Amino acid sequence: MLKVVMPRLDPAMQSGKVIEWLKREGDRVSAEEPIVRVEGEKTTFEVNTPGAGVIRKLLSALGTDVQVGQAMALVGEPDEPIPLEIAAEEAPKIPAAQEKQSIVKLPRLEEPTASPVARRMAREASIDLSKIKGSGPGGRIVREDVMKAMELAKERLKPVAGPSQVRTVAVVKTIKLSGKRKVTAERLSYGFHNTVPVTITMEASMDKILERRVNVRKETGEEVSVTAYVVKGAAKALEDHRMLNSSLDEDTIQIYGDVNVAVAINTPDGLVAPVIPMTNNKSVAEISREIRDLTERSMQSRLSVSDLTGGTFTVTNLGGYGVELFAPVINPPQCAILGFGRTSEKPVVIGKEVHIAAMTTLSLVFDHRIVDGVPAAQFLQRVKELLEDPTRLD
Amino acid sequence: MRELTYADALREGLREEMLRDPRVVLIGEEIGVFEGVYKVTRGLLKEFGPERVRDTPISEAAIAGAAIGAALGGLRPVAEIMYMDFLTICLDQIATNAAKMHFMSGGKLKVPFVLRTQYSLGRMHGAQHSQFFPSIFFQVPGLKVVLPSTPHDAKGLLKAAIRDEDPVVFIESGVLYRTKGAVPEEEYVLPLGQCDVKRKGDDLTVVAVSRVVSEALAAAAKLEEQGISVDVIDPRTIQPLDLATIVESVKRTGRLIVASDDVKSGGIGSEIAAAVLEEAFDSLDAPIFRVASPHMPIPFSPALEQAYMPNADKIVQAAKKLVG
Repeated sequence: MLKVVMPRLDPAMQSGKVIEWLKREGDRVSAEEPIVRVEGEKTTFEVNTPGAGVIRKLLSALGTDVQVGQAMALVGEPDEPIPLEIAAEEAPKIPAAQEKQSIVKLPRLEEPTASPVARRMAREASIDLSKIKGSGPGGRIVREDVMKAMELAKERLKPVAGPSQVRTVAVVKTIKLSGKRKVTAERLSYGFHNTVPVTITMEASMDKILERRVNVRKETGEEVSVTAYVVKGAAKALEDHRMLNSSLDEDTIQIYGDVNVAVAINTPDGLVAPVIPMTNNKSVAEISREIRDLTERSMQSRLSVSDLTGGTFTVTNLGGYGVELFAPVINPPQCAILGFGRTSEKPVVIGKEVHIAAMTTLSLVFDHRIVDGVPAAQFLQRVKELLEDPTRLD
Repeated sequence: MRELTYADALREGLREEMLRDPRVVLIGEEIGVFEGVYKVTRGLLKEFGPERVRDTPISEAAIAGAAIGAALGGLRPVAEIMYMDFLTICLDQIATNAAKMHFMSGGKLKVPFVLRTQYSLGRMHGAQHSQFFPSIFFQVPGLKVVLPSTPHDAKGLLKAAIRDEDPVVFIESGVLYRTKGAVPEEEYVLPLGQCDVKRKGDDLTVVAVSRVVSEALAAAAKLEEQGISVDVIDPRTIQPLDLATIVESVKRTGRLIVASDDVKSGGIGSEIAAAVLEEAFDSLDAPIFRVASPHMPIPFSPALEQAYMPNADKIVQAAKKLVG
């Protein structure tokens, strides 16, 4: 028996709504034939049967939201038995094709008696009427009963703060999430809830990079940013550690050929992460110029769709704001993000001597579903090596 | 403020309008020499003369027809039909002539005619002299239907009815004629088509009409003692009906009783209940109850008549069923 399941069209997709059955139970279908129309958040699409056979059972009623990965229909041989657990779970939801005309009126046994206003208030406050005991004539649930239930629900949400009044806080301004901030919020919460993030950190000496920046400035007059070195270091390390240059799509890890590092940029409207395509093939100076250009265009809201898509890894930096160490949220569907903090002079013990070195802390957050701790640590180690010997970055 | 009886307040309203406008004339049985069976027209023949206060033979169709003709001819007649029961005799004149001419003449004709009458339910007048069937009239497009419940409202609404350009059926309550109430000395006119909230409350709305308004107020006082606070609304005119005020109240209280003297089937209560359901279904916390007369001829026996009529106790009982 084949299952026709709700596919995931994009990483953020949770479910789709069945809007039209193109086939009925008993219809014969050939492989890859569309059998159902589904409405996703962004688009409407058709879902095909994975193989030929007879539609044995439609499992989802029209208009229902079906979770990604959940079966919508069963396709098999005409005499093939339907698995018992599915038959039991899903059976009565869809009338068979020949019963389409008949209207089945189910007895409303469990429905409590409630007044119109009680019903409306319960609906608006998402209160389950079957959980309320009616105090009106004949046990009818009346407005007062719903108000008491609402009070009770509110009471349960209150923090236990002793017998005194709950402290209320004056709101001086409210900001409705919109535009970039909304997208950022959605992406971050998706990333946060749908990955298994693990953070590892490592210190790296930035002495050589700082020295090199001064030399480049002297030779060419060009200002190359520390971020550009870190981006290049990450890109180069990804060449050897492809597992981190990847994403997870359902049960398939996709490892990318191109290394396209995205750089998190703070704008007045919110966070963006434009992409430097083929980062590993570009020089540090080129990367630095591209970051400068992307930053300028981010500030002017002039980024194109191609600037914002196709990233395979992200680098983010809060060092400019005095942050030493932080664990950023993975930018979905990417596998990992590298954060680095402030570069500052610190005592470092080399052999038996204390030296002063410009140190920064690298923090790698990776999705443990895709990659384990050791390969992630090896990648981070490689980044550190490259940053401490920047000649290898050219 | 001074107090007047319902009958005296009406008489004052008639007199003021006759003084104000020479086109206002009265026509009816026993209204002149006998000064009206309920003395509403007392002294008016003496003051205004037989040209303006005209006694008629016993023919309700003739009274209504003559008054409608006079209205078309430029007067503002106030006809009196002694008992509401007799309105059936002149129903053709009212429903088919008075109510239609303005519309069928393309607005050229006006019928500024008031038909005063009274219903005697509660006065032991029997099945043929006690009837109250206002729905027959509020069902007829082109008529206005006024039902005053107090001396104050009776005077103010009668003056408005006389000044109105449309035919108005003005239904008085016989048992209210001798009741007294505050009536200001200074002149006032009340608008047609506007409810009066007689008492404010939060738990229940009682819409009461004509004689039953005082019963509703008595019921509200009893219910208040039991912790149920009642909004008592008097529509005062049921055509046009000020539904907005009633709906606003029901949205607040969630419960409605309509109390009136007509029979329950197809009556004022049925109409208001249906209209409120359309407008405020989602605000109702209980079914809508009608407190009205049973669907049967009005008994002559005083005991049976009292049992037949809506009263404060019946409203209290209905309220308790609603509030639980």
